[in-house]
Amino acid sequence: MNYFIQIIVSGLTFGAMYALAAVGLALVWGAFNMLNMSHGIIMTLGAYFALLWAEYMGMPLVLAAPFALVCGAVVGVIAYFISAHWMLKQKNFEVTIIIATFGLGMALEAGLLKFLRELFRTAPYSQPLSLGAKSFMVADVPVSYQRLVVWAGAIVLIVLVGLFLSRTTAGRAVRAVAQNRDAARLVGVPVRRIYVMVLALGSGLAAVSGIMLSSFKDVHPLMGGDPMLKAFIVIVLAGLGNITGALYAALLVGMVEAAVKVLIADKYGFAAILILVILALIWKPAGIFGRSTVARQ
Amino acid sequence: MTEPLLRIDGLHAGYEGQIVLRDISLDVPEGALITLLGPNGHGKTTLLRCISGLMKPSKGRIEFAGKRIDGLEADKLVARGIVMIPQGDMLFPEMSVYDNLKMGAYLPVARAKFDENVERIYTLLPRLKERTTQLARTLSGGERRMLAIGRGLLSGGRILMFDEPSLGLAPIVIDQIYEVINDLKAQGRTILLVEENADRIIELADRIHLLDTGQIVWAGDGHELDSQQQILETYLGG
Repeated sequence: MNYFIQIIVSGLTFGAMYALAAVGLALVWGAFNMLNMSHGIIMTLGAYFALLWAEYMGMPLVLAAPFALVCGAVVGVIAYFISAHWMLKQKNFEVTIIIATFGLGMALEAGLLKFLRELFRTAPYSQPLSLGAKSFMVADVPVSYQRLVVWAGAIVLIVLVGLFLSRTTAGRAVRAVAQNRDAARLVGVPVRRIYVMVLALGSGLAAVSGIMLSSFKDVHPLMGGDPMLKAFIVIVLAGLGNITGALYAALLVGMVEAAVKVLIADKYGFAAILILVILALIWKPAGIFGRSTVARQ
Repeated sequence: MTEPLLRIDGLHAGYEGQIVLRDISLDVPEGALITLLGPNGHGKTTLLRCISGLMKPSKGRIEFAGKRIDGLEADKLVARGIVMIPQGDMLFPEMSVYDNLKMGAYLPVARAKFDENVERIYTLLPRLKERTTQLARTLSGGERRMLAIGRGLLSGGRILMFDEPSLGLAPIVIDQIYEVINDLKAQGRTILLVEENADRIIELADRIHLLDTGQIVWAGDGHELDSQQQILETYLGG
Protein backbone atom coordinates (compact mmCIF):
# COMPACT_ATOMS: atom_id res chain seq x y z
CA MET A 1 0.00 0.00 0.00
CA ASN A 2 2.77 2.41 0.93
CA TYR A 3 4.61 1.68 -2.27
CA PHE A 4 1.47 2.34 -4.17
CA ILE A 5 0.95 5.75 -2.60
CA GLN A 6 4.60 6.59 -3.03
CA ILE A 7 4.37 5.75 -6.74
CA ILE A 8 1.22 7.84 -7.18
CA VAL A 9 2.73 10.82 -5.36
CA SER A 10 5.99 10.93 -7.24
CA GLY A 11 4.37 9.83 -10.50
CA LEU A 12 1.99 12.78 -10.31
CA THR A 13 4.86 15.14 -9.58
CA PHE A 14 7.00 13.94 -12.48
CA GLY A 15 3.90 13.89 -14.67
CA ALA A 16 2.98 17.47 -13.79
CA MET A 17 6.43 18.78 -14.63
CA TYR A 18 6.70 16.82 -17.86
CA ALA A 19 3.20 17.89 -18.84
CA LEU A 20 4.00 21.55 -18.49
CA ALA A 21 7.20 21.22 -20.48
CA ALA A 22 5.54 19.01 -23.09
CA VAL A 23 2.54 21.30 -23.60
CA GLY A 24 4.89 24.11 -24.60
CA LEU A 25 6.74 21.86 -27.03
CA ALA A 26 3.55 20.37 -28.47
CA LEU A 27 2.02 23.81 -29.03
CA VAL A 28 5.01 24.98 -31.04
CA TRP A 29 5.22 21.77 -33.05
CA GLY A 30 1.47 21.82 -33.68
CA ALA A 31 1.46 25.39 -34.92
CA PHE A 32 4.35 25.25 -37.33
CA ASN A 33 6.20 21.94 -37.18
CA MET A 34 9.07 23.37 -35.20
CA LEU A 35 10.75 21.02 -32.75
CA ASN A 36 12.34 23.54 -30.45
CA MET A 37 15.57 22.04 -29.17
CA SER A 38 16.28 25.13 -27.09
CA HIS A 39 13.22 24.37 -24.94
CA GLY A 40 15.41 22.77 -22.25
CA ILE A 41 17.72 25.71 -21.85
CA ILE A 42 14.69 28.00 -21.61
CA MET A 43 13.52 25.83 -18.70
CA THR A 44 16.92 26.35 -17.10
CA LEU A 45 16.71 30.07 -17.77
CA GLY A 46 13.31 30.15 -16.07
CA ALA A 47 14.86 28.87 -12.88
CA TYR A 48 17.66 31.41 -13.17
CA PHE A 49 15.26 34.28 -13.86
CA ALA A 50 13.36 33.44 -10.69
CA LEU A 51 16.60 33.24 -8.75
CA LEU A 52 17.79 36.60 -10.09
CA TRP A 53 14.47 38.21 -9.32
CA ALA A 54 14.16 36.93 -5.79
CA GLU A 55 17.71 36.73 -4.52
CA TYR A 56 19.65 39.30 -6.45
CA MET A 57 16.99 41.91 -7.07
CA GLY A 58 15.28 41.35 -3.76
CA MET A 59 11.81 41.34 -5.29
CA PRO A 60 8.82 39.54 -3.74
CA LEU A 61 8.94 35.78 -4.21
CA VAL A 62 5.31 35.49 -5.23
CA LEU A 63 5.96 37.50 -8.36
CA ALA A 64 9.00 35.50 -9.42
CA ALA A 65 6.98 32.97 -11.41
CA PRO A 66 5.16 35.61 -13.49
CA PHE A 67 8.50 37.39 -13.97
CA ALA A 68 10.12 34.19 -15.24
CA LEU A 69 7.09 33.53 -17.48
CA VAL A 70 7.49 36.93 -19.12
CA CYS A 71 11.27 36.57 -19.46
CA GLY A 72 10.84 33.07 -20.92
CA ALA A 73 8.36 34.49 -23.44
CA VAL A 74 10.85 37.19 -24.42
CA VAL A 75 13.57 34.58 -24.92
CA GLY A 76 11.10 32.63 -27.10
CA VAL A 77 10.47 35.68 -29.26
CA ILE A 78 14.21 36.32 -29.61
CA ALA A 79 14.75 32.65 -30.48
CA TYR A 80 12.09 32.98 -33.20
CA PHE A 81 13.74 36.00 -34.77
CA ILE A 82 17.23 34.56 -34.79
CA SER A 83 16.22 31.17 -36.14
CA ALA A 84 12.76 30.23 -37.42
CA HIS A 85 11.87 33.58 -38.99
CA TRP A 86 14.57 33.24 -41.64
CA MET A 87 14.07 29.56 -42.25
CA LEU A 88 10.30 29.14 -42.56
CA LYS A 89 10.32 29.09 -46.35
CA GLN A 90 13.02 26.44 -46.54
CA LYS A 91 12.03 23.11 -47.95
CA ASN A 92 13.35 21.05 -45.05
CA PHE A 93 12.31 23.45 -42.32
CA GLU A 94 11.36 20.64 -39.94
CA VAL A 95 14.91 19.28 -40.04
CA THR A 96 16.95 22.47 -40.29
CA ILE A 97 15.09 24.12 -37.41
CA ILE A 98 16.02 21.22 -35.14
CA ILE A 99 19.69 21.80 -35.89
CA ALA A 100 19.37 25.58 -35.59
CA THR A 101 17.58 25.51 -32.24
CA PHE A 102 19.95 22.81 -31.01
CA GLY A 103 22.82 25.17 -31.79
CA LEU A 104 21.02 28.04 -30.13
CA GLY A 105 20.46 25.92 -27.03
CA MET A 106 24.13 24.94 -26.90
CA ALA A 107 25.22 28.56 -27.25
CA LEU A 108 22.94 29.65 -24.41
CA GLU A 109 24.09 26.76 -22.26
CA ALA A 110 27.73 27.62 -22.90
CA GLY A 111 26.95 31.24 -22.00
CA LEU A 112 25.37 30.16 -18.72
CA LEU A 113 28.29 27.86 -17.91
CA LYS A 114 30.75 30.63 -18.62
CA PHE A 115 29.10 33.49 -16.79
CA LEU A 116 26.79 32.09 -14.17
CA ARG A 117 28.40 28.95 -12.90
CA GLU A 118 30.27 30.72 -10.12
CA LEU A 119 27.35 32.94 -9.29
CA PHE A 120 24.91 30.14 -8.59
CA ARG A 121 26.97 27.25 -7.44
CA THR A 122 25.07 27.11 -4.15
CA ALA A 123 22.06 25.02 -4.94
CA PRO A 124 19.33 23.95 -4.35
CA TYR A 125 18.05 27.25 -3.24
CA SER A 126 14.87 28.38 -1.58
CA GLN A 127 13.07 29.25 -4.77
CA PRO A 128 9.84 31.21 -5.20
CA LEU A 129 7.42 28.33 -5.15
CA SER A 130 9.23 26.72 -2.26
CA LEU A 131 7.43 25.76 0.91
CA GLY A 132 10.47 24.23 2.55
CA ALA A 133 10.56 20.65 3.75
CA LYS A 134 7.20 20.61 5.56
CA SER A 135 4.98 17.70 4.70
CA PHE A 136 1.83 15.84 5.66
CA MET A 137 1.16 12.12 5.84
CA VAL A 138 -0.96 9.99 3.53
CA ALA A 139 -1.12 6.49 5.02
CA ASP A 140 2.52 6.23 6.15
CA VAL A 141 3.94 8.20 3.26
CA PRO A 142 5.10 11.79 3.80
CA VAL A 143 3.89 14.13 1.05
CA SER A 144 5.59 17.51 1.03
CA TYR A 145 3.47 20.60 0.58
CA GLN A 146 5.89 21.47 -2.17
CA ARG A 147 4.37 18.73 -4.31
CA LEU A 148 0.94 20.25 -3.88
CA VAL A 149 2.30 23.55 -5.19
CA VAL A 150 3.75 21.82 -8.24
CA TRP A 151 0.49 19.96 -8.95
CA ALA A 152 -1.64 23.03 -8.48
CA GLY A 153 0.71 25.17 -10.57
CA ALA A 154 0.68 22.68 -13.43
CA ILE A 155 -3.10 22.27 -13.33
CA VAL A 156 -3.76 26.01 -13.25
CA LEU A 157 -1.39 26.76 -16.11
CA ILE A 158 -2.65 23.91 -18.28
CA VAL A 159 -6.27 24.89 -17.69
CA LEU A 160 -5.38 28.48 -18.60
CA VAL A 161 -3.71 27.32 -21.81
CA GLY A 162 -6.76 25.20 -22.61
CA LEU A 163 -9.12 28.12 -22.05
CA PHE A 164 -6.91 30.38 -24.13
CA LEU A 165 -6.97 27.92 -27.04
CA SER A 166 -10.68 27.19 -26.91
CA ARG A 167 -12.25 30.46 -25.83
CA THR A 168 -10.24 33.38 -27.19
CA THR A 169 -9.97 34.72 -30.71
CA ALA A 170 -6.18 34.48 -30.59
CA GLY A 171 -6.35 30.91 -29.30
CA ARG A 172 -8.77 29.92 -32.02
CA ALA A 173 -6.36 31.45 -34.55
CA VAL A 174 -3.55 29.28 -33.14
CA ARG A 175 -5.67 26.17 -33.63
CA ALA A 176 -6.65 27.33 -37.11
CA VAL A 177 -3.00 27.77 -38.11
CA ALA A 178 -2.16 24.34 -36.70
CA GLN A 179 -4.99 22.68 -38.63
CA ASN A 180 -4.66 24.38 -42.00
CA ARG A 181 -2.17 27.16 -42.56
CA ASP A 182 -3.43 28.33 -45.95
CA ALA A 183 -7.05 28.30 -44.81
CA ALA A 184 -6.04 30.42 -41.82
CA ARG A 185 -4.37 32.95 -44.09
CA LEU A 186 -7.50 33.06 -46.25
CA VAL A 187 -9.59 34.26 -43.33
CA GLY A 188 -7.06 36.93 -42.44
CA VAL A 189 -4.92 35.32 -39.73
CA PRO A 190 -1.42 36.86 -39.75
CA VAL A 191 0.30 33.49 -39.60
CA ARG A 192 3.79 34.68 -38.72
CA ARG A 193 2.54 36.74 -35.82
CA ILE A 194 0.81 33.61 -34.54
CA TYR A 195 4.12 31.71 -34.74
CA VAL A 196 5.82 34.36 -32.62
CA MET A 197 2.98 34.28 -30.11
CA VAL A 198 3.04 30.48 -29.85
CA LEU A 199 6.78 30.37 -29.35
CA ALA A 200 6.47 33.06 -26.67
CA LEU A 201 3.74 31.08 -24.92
CA GLY A 202 5.59 27.76 -25.19
CA SER A 203 8.79 29.31 -23.87
CA GLY A 204 6.97 31.06 -21.03
CA LEU A 205 5.54 27.70 -19.97
CA ALA A 206 9.01 26.17 -20.22
CA ALA A 207 10.36 28.86 -17.90
CA VAL A 208 7.68 28.17 -15.29
CA SER A 209 8.25 24.44 -15.49
CA GLY A 210 11.95 25.22 -14.94
CA ILE A 211 11.03 26.92 -11.65
CA MET A 212 9.03 23.90 -10.59
CA LEU A 213 11.91 21.67 -11.46
CA SER A 214 14.23 23.77 -9.36
CA SER A 215 12.11 23.08 -6.32
CA PHE A 216 13.34 19.48 -6.44
CA LYS A 217 16.68 19.71 -8.17
CA ASP A 218 19.77 21.88 -8.14
CA VAL A 219 19.85 25.00 -10.21
CA HIS A 220 22.68 24.65 -12.67
CA PRO A 221 23.17 25.39 -16.37
CA LEU A 222 22.51 21.83 -17.50
CA MET A 223 19.40 21.19 -15.41
CA GLY A 224 16.97 21.55 -18.36
CA GLY A 225 18.52 18.82 -20.50
CA ASP A 226 17.00 15.78 -18.87
CA PRO A 227 13.43 17.10 -18.48
CA MET A 228 13.47 18.35 -22.09
CA LEU A 229 14.36 14.87 -23.23
CA LYS A 230 11.43 13.53 -21.20
CA ALA A 231 9.14 16.18 -22.68
CA PHE A 232 10.21 15.08 -26.17
CA ILE A 233 9.47 11.50 -25.28
CA VAL A 234 6.06 12.58 -24.01
CA ILE A 235 5.07 14.40 -27.21
CA VAL A 236 6.34 11.62 -29.45
CA LEU A 237 4.47 9.09 -27.34
CA ALA A 238 1.29 11.17 -27.51
CA GLY A 239 1.52 11.90 -31.22
CA LEU A 240 3.29 15.11 -32.24
CA GLY A 241 1.27 18.26 -31.74
CA ASN A 242 -1.53 16.58 -29.79
CA ILE A 243 -1.85 18.69 -26.64
CA THR A 244 -4.50 16.74 -24.74
CA GLY A 245 -2.68 13.55 -25.62
CA ALA A 246 0.53 15.06 -24.24
CA LEU A 247 -1.13 15.52 -20.84
CA TYR A 248 -2.08 11.85 -20.61
CA ALA A 249 1.28 10.74 -21.95
CA ALA A 250 3.08 12.95 -19.40
CA LEU A 251 1.17 11.30 -16.57
CA LEU A 252 1.86 7.86 -18.00
CA VAL A 253 5.57 8.55 -18.35
CA GLY A 254 5.68 10.06 -14.85
CA MET A 255 3.91 7.03 -13.34
CA VAL A 256 6.06 4.46 -15.13
CA GLU A 257 9.20 6.30 -14.10
CA ALA A 258 8.03 6.53 -10.49
CA ALA A 259 6.96 2.87 -10.39
CA VAL A 260 10.29 1.61 -11.68
CA LYS A 261 12.21 3.92 -9.35
CA VAL A 262 10.24 2.82 -6.31
CA LEU A 263 9.94 -0.89 -7.08
CA ILE A 264 13.19 -1.68 -8.84
CA ALA A 265 15.92 0.95 -8.74
CA ASP A 266 16.44 4.63 -9.48
CA LYS A 267 18.80 4.02 -12.36
CA TYR A 268 16.29 1.99 -14.38
CA GLY A 269 13.67 4.74 -14.51
CA PHE A 270 14.82 6.25 -17.76
CA ALA A 271 15.40 2.91 -19.42
CA ALA A 272 11.84 1.92 -18.54
CA ILE A 273 10.49 5.05 -20.22
CA LEU A 274 12.46 4.32 -23.37
CA ILE A 275 11.14 0.75 -23.49
CA LEU A 276 7.64 2.11 -23.05
CA VAL A 277 8.11 4.46 -26.01
CA ILE A 278 9.57 1.79 -28.24
CA LEU A 279 6.68 -0.57 -27.52
CA ALA A 280 4.10 2.19 -27.97
CA LEU A 281 5.55 3.28 -31.30
CA ILE A 282 5.68 -0.28 -32.62
CA TRP A 283 2.03 -0.59 -31.70
CA LYS A 284 0.99 2.89 -32.95
CA PRO A 285 3.62 4.57 -35.13
CA ALA A 286 1.87 7.96 -35.10
CA GLY A 287 1.78 8.04 -31.29
CA ILE A 288 -0.87 6.76 -28.90
CA PHE A 289 -3.23 9.63 -29.64
CA GLY A 290 -1.99 10.36 -33.17
CA ARG A 291 -4.63 10.03 -35.82
CA SER A 292 -2.61 9.65 -38.98
CA THR A 293 -0.50 6.62 -39.69
CA VAL A 294 3.08 6.97 -40.76
CA ALA A 295 4.06 5.11 -43.88
CA ARG A 296 7.66 4.56 -44.78
CA GLN A 297 8.44 5.74 -48.30
CA MET B 1 -16.01 53.39 -68.39
CA THR B 2 -15.33 53.01 -64.69
CA GLU B 3 -12.34 51.10 -63.42
CA PRO B 4 -13.00 47.41 -62.81
CA LEU B 5 -12.84 46.28 -59.18
CA LEU B 6 -10.26 43.63 -60.03
CA ARG B 7 -7.86 43.86 -62.94
CA ILE B 8 -5.36 41.21 -63.91
CA ASP B 9 -2.79 42.21 -66.47
CA GLY B 10 -0.26 39.96 -68.20
CA LEU B 11 -0.02 37.53 -65.31
CA HIS B 12 2.44 34.63 -65.36
CA ALA B 13 2.79 32.11 -62.56
CA GLY B 14 4.13 28.64 -61.91
CA TYR B 15 5.67 26.15 -59.52
CA GLU B 16 9.40 25.48 -59.42
CA GLY B 17 10.25 26.48 -62.95
CA GLN B 18 7.13 25.00 -64.43
CA ILE B 19 4.90 27.64 -65.94
CA VAL B 20 1.22 27.16 -65.13
CA LEU B 21 -0.29 30.48 -66.17
CA ARG B 22 0.79 32.51 -69.21
CA ASP B 23 -0.12 36.07 -69.89
CA ILE B 24 -3.51 36.09 -68.22
CA SER B 25 -5.47 39.33 -68.44
CA LEU B 26 -9.02 39.82 -67.26
CA ASP B 27 -11.25 42.40 -65.61
CA VAL B 28 -13.91 41.93 -62.98
CA PRO B 29 -16.24 44.97 -62.82
CA GLU B 30 -18.07 45.77 -59.60
CA GLY B 31 -21.31 43.80 -59.29
CA ALA B 32 -20.51 41.39 -62.12
CA LEU B 33 -20.24 37.63 -62.12
CA ILE B 34 -17.20 36.65 -64.14
CA THR B 35 -16.26 33.05 -64.74
CA LEU B 36 -13.18 31.19 -65.69
CA LEU B 37 -13.97 27.93 -67.37
CA GLY B 38 -11.53 25.16 -68.09
CA PRO B 39 -10.58 21.58 -67.55
CA ASN B 40 -8.89 20.35 -64.39
CA GLY B 41 -5.19 21.02 -64.03
CA HIS B 42 -5.05 23.96 -66.42
CA GLY B 43 -4.33 26.66 -63.86
CA LYS B 44 -7.72 27.85 -62.61
CA THR B 45 -6.97 27.31 -58.94
CA THR B 46 -3.46 28.69 -59.42
CA LEU B 47 -4.97 31.96 -60.65
CA LEU B 48 -7.19 32.22 -57.59
CA ARG B 49 -4.21 31.45 -55.37
CA CYS B 50 -2.30 34.30 -57.00
CA ILE B 51 -5.15 36.76 -56.53
CA SER B 52 -5.75 35.77 -52.92
CA GLY B 53 -2.05 36.02 -52.04
CA LEU B 54 -1.37 32.35 -51.31
CA MET B 55 1.08 32.38 -54.20
CA LYS B 56 3.26 35.02 -55.83
CA PRO B 57 2.97 35.52 -59.58
CA SER B 58 6.25 35.50 -61.49
CA LYS B 59 5.25 38.34 -63.85
CA GLY B 60 2.41 40.74 -64.46
CA ARG B 61 0.22 42.81 -62.16
CA ILE B 62 -2.99 42.47 -60.19
CA GLU B 63 -4.92 45.58 -59.20
CA PHE B 64 -7.78 45.71 -56.77
CA ALA B 65 -9.87 48.85 -56.32
CA GLY B 66 -7.23 50.81 -58.25
CA LYS B 67 -4.28 49.64 -56.14
CA ARG B 68 -1.59 47.14 -57.03
CA ILE B 69 -1.85 44.06 -54.81
CA ASP B 70 0.27 41.30 -56.31
CA GLY B 71 2.89 40.09 -53.86
CA LEU B 72 0.92 41.10 -50.76
CA GLU B 73 0.31 38.46 -48.08
CA ALA B 74 -3.06 36.68 -48.05
CA ASP B 75 -4.11 38.02 -44.64
CA LYS B 76 -3.58 41.61 -45.83
CA LEU B 77 -5.72 40.96 -48.89
CA VAL B 78 -8.64 39.59 -46.87
CA ALA B 79 -8.61 42.84 -44.93
CA ARG B 80 -8.90 44.72 -48.23
CA GLY B 81 -11.93 42.68 -49.23
CA ILE B 82 -10.67 39.79 -51.33
CA VAL B 83 -12.34 36.62 -50.13
CA MET B 84 -11.59 33.22 -51.60
CA ILE B 85 -14.05 30.42 -51.07
CA PRO B 86 -11.89 27.36 -51.49
CA GLN B 87 -12.82 23.77 -52.13
CA GLY B 88 -13.93 21.75 -49.13
CA ASP B 89 -10.39 20.73 -48.19
CA MET B 90 -9.52 24.16 -46.81
CA LEU B 91 -11.52 24.02 -43.60
CA PHE B 92 -10.33 23.63 -40.02
CA PRO B 93 -11.07 19.91 -39.62
CA GLU B 94 -10.81 19.65 -35.83
CA MET B 95 -13.05 22.63 -35.17
CA SER B 96 -16.82 22.66 -34.93
CA VAL B 97 -18.93 24.14 -37.70
CA TYR B 98 -19.60 27.12 -35.44
CA ASP B 99 -15.90 27.70 -34.74
CA ASN B 100 -15.13 27.45 -38.44
CA LEU B 101 -17.74 30.11 -39.12
CA LYS B 102 -16.33 32.20 -36.30
CA MET B 103 -12.90 31.98 -37.91
CA GLY B 104 -14.46 33.43 -41.07
CA ALA B 105 -15.18 36.54 -39.02
CA TYR B 106 -11.63 36.71 -37.68
CA LEU B 107 -10.93 40.28 -38.73
CA PRO B 108 -12.26 42.91 -36.28
CA VAL B 109 -14.70 44.48 -38.76
CA ALA B 110 -16.32 41.12 -39.50
CA ARG B 111 -16.16 40.01 -35.85
CA ALA B 112 -18.23 42.98 -34.73
CA LYS B 113 -21.10 41.89 -36.99
CA PHE B 114 -20.72 38.14 -36.47
CA ASP B 115 -23.85 37.44 -34.39
CA GLU B 116 -26.08 39.24 -36.83
CA ASN B 117 -24.41 37.81 -39.94
CA VAL B 118 -24.28 34.21 -38.76
CA GLU B 119 -28.06 34.14 -38.52
CA ARG B 120 -28.24 35.23 -42.12
CA ILE B 121 -25.84 32.44 -43.08
CA TYR B 122 -28.04 29.92 -41.25
CA THR B 123 -31.04 31.10 -43.23
CA LEU B 124 -29.11 30.84 -46.47
CA LEU B 125 -27.52 27.47 -45.60
CA PRO B 126 -29.89 25.82 -43.10
CA ARG B 127 -27.86 22.61 -43.09
CA LEU B 128 -25.08 24.41 -41.21
CA LYS B 129 -27.45 25.32 -38.43
CA GLU B 130 -28.28 21.66 -37.87
CA ARG B 131 -24.59 20.87 -37.65
CA THR B 132 -23.23 23.72 -35.52
CA THR B 133 -21.49 21.57 -32.92
CA GLN B 134 -20.24 18.91 -35.30
CA LEU B 135 -16.54 18.78 -36.19
CA ALA B 136 -15.83 19.91 -39.74
CA ARG B 137 -14.00 16.67 -40.60
CA THR B 138 -17.16 14.68 -39.99
CA LEU B 139 -19.22 16.60 -42.57
CA SER B 140 -20.16 15.27 -45.99
CA GLY B 141 -18.58 16.74 -49.13
CA GLY B 142 -21.57 18.96 -49.82
CA GLU B 143 -21.78 20.19 -46.25
CA ARG B 144 -18.07 21.04 -46.31
CA ARG B 145 -18.55 23.11 -49.41
CA MET B 146 -21.45 24.89 -47.76
CA LEU B 147 -19.32 25.54 -44.69
CA ALA B 148 -16.57 26.98 -46.89
CA ILE B 149 -19.16 29.26 -48.49
CA GLY B 150 -20.61 30.30 -45.14
CA ARG B 151 -17.17 31.00 -43.72
CA GLY B 152 -16.22 33.05 -46.77
CA LEU B 153 -19.43 35.09 -46.64
CA LEU B 154 -18.79 35.92 -42.98
CA SER B 155 -15.47 37.51 -43.93
CA GLY B 156 -17.47 40.23 -45.66
CA GLY B 157 -15.37 41.11 -48.66
CA ARG B 158 -15.91 43.13 -51.80
CA ILE B 159 -15.21 40.27 -54.14
CA LEU B 160 -16.01 36.59 -53.65
CA MET B 161 -13.90 34.08 -55.52
CA PHE B 162 -15.38 30.59 -55.75
CA ASP B 163 -13.05 27.71 -56.52
CA GLU B 164 -15.01 25.02 -58.37
CA PRO B 165 -18.08 25.04 -56.16
CA SER B 166 -19.57 22.00 -57.89
CA LEU B 167 -16.53 19.73 -58.02
CA GLY B 168 -17.28 16.20 -56.90
CA LEU B 169 -20.78 16.89 -55.61
CA ALA B 170 -24.14 15.26 -56.27
CA PRO B 171 -26.38 17.17 -58.71
CA ILE B 172 -28.91 18.03 -56.01
CA VAL B 173 -26.18 19.59 -53.84
CA ILE B 174 -24.82 21.48 -56.85
CA ASP B 175 -28.32 22.90 -57.36
CA GLN B 176 -28.39 24.16 -53.78
CA ILE B 177 -24.98 25.74 -54.08
CA TYR B 178 -25.81 27.47 -57.33
CA GLU B 179 -29.00 28.77 -55.77
CA VAL B 180 -26.83 30.49 -53.18
CA ILE B 181 -24.53 31.91 -55.85
CA ASN B 182 -27.60 33.13 -57.73
CA ASP B 183 -28.85 34.89 -54.60
CA LEU B 184 -25.49 36.54 -54.10
CA LYS B 185 -25.50 37.75 -57.67
CA ALA B 186 -28.99 39.14 -57.22
CA GLN B 187 -27.75 41.04 -54.18
CA GLY B 188 -25.19 42.71 -56.41
CA ARG B 189 -22.11 41.00 -55.01
CA THR B 190 -19.02 40.90 -57.22
CA ILE B 191 -18.10 37.30 -57.98
CA LEU B 192 -15.24 35.56 -59.75
CA LEU B 193 -16.18 31.95 -60.31
CA VAL B 194 -13.93 29.14 -61.45
CA GLU B 195 -15.67 26.10 -62.94
CA GLU B 196 -15.04 23.03 -64.96
CA ASN B 197 -18.63 22.46 -65.91
CA ALA B 198 -20.12 24.88 -68.48
CA ASP B 199 -23.79 23.93 -67.97
CA ARG B 200 -24.29 25.77 -64.72
CA ILE B 201 -22.74 29.05 -65.71
CA ILE B 202 -23.85 29.75 -69.24
CA GLU B 203 -27.00 31.47 -68.01
CA LEU B 204 -25.48 32.97 -64.91
CA ALA B 205 -22.22 34.58 -66.00
CA ASP B 206 -21.84 38.10 -67.31
CA ARG B 207 -18.66 37.04 -69.02
CA ILE B 208 -16.91 33.73 -69.49
CA HIS B 209 -13.18 33.21 -69.99
CA LEU B 210 -11.99 29.90 -71.30
CA LEU B 211 -8.69 28.73 -69.85
CA ASP B 212 -6.64 26.10 -71.62
CA THR B 213 -3.10 25.02 -70.66
CA GLY B 214 -2.65 28.20 -68.69
CA GLN B 215 -3.86 30.67 -71.31
CA ILE B 216 -7.15 32.40 -71.94
CA VAL B 217 -8.16 31.11 -75.36
CA TRP B 218 -11.59 32.61 -75.64
CA ALA B 219 -13.80 35.15 -73.89
CA GLY B 220 -17.41 36.11 -74.35
CA ASP B 221 -20.83 35.76 -72.77
CA GLY B 222 -22.81 32.60 -72.20
CA HIS B 223 -24.93 32.82 -75.32
CA GLU B 224 -21.91 33.23 -77.54
CA LEU B 225 -20.34 30.20 -75.93
CA ASP B 226 -23.52 28.21 -76.36
CA SER B 227 -23.62 29.00 -80.04
CA GLN B 228 -20.04 27.95 -80.56
CA GLN B 229 -20.31 24.25 -79.98
CA GLN B 230 -16.92 23.71 -81.52
CA ILE B 231 -15.21 25.66 -78.72
CA LEU B 232 -17.00 23.66 -76.10
CA GLU B 233 -16.09 20.40 -77.76
CA THR B 234 -12.46 21.32 -78.31
CA TYR B 235 -11.75 22.56 -74.82
CA LEU B 236 -14.26 20.93 -72.58
CA GLY B 237 -15.00 17.73 -74.40
CA GLY B 238 -18.59 18.65 -75.19
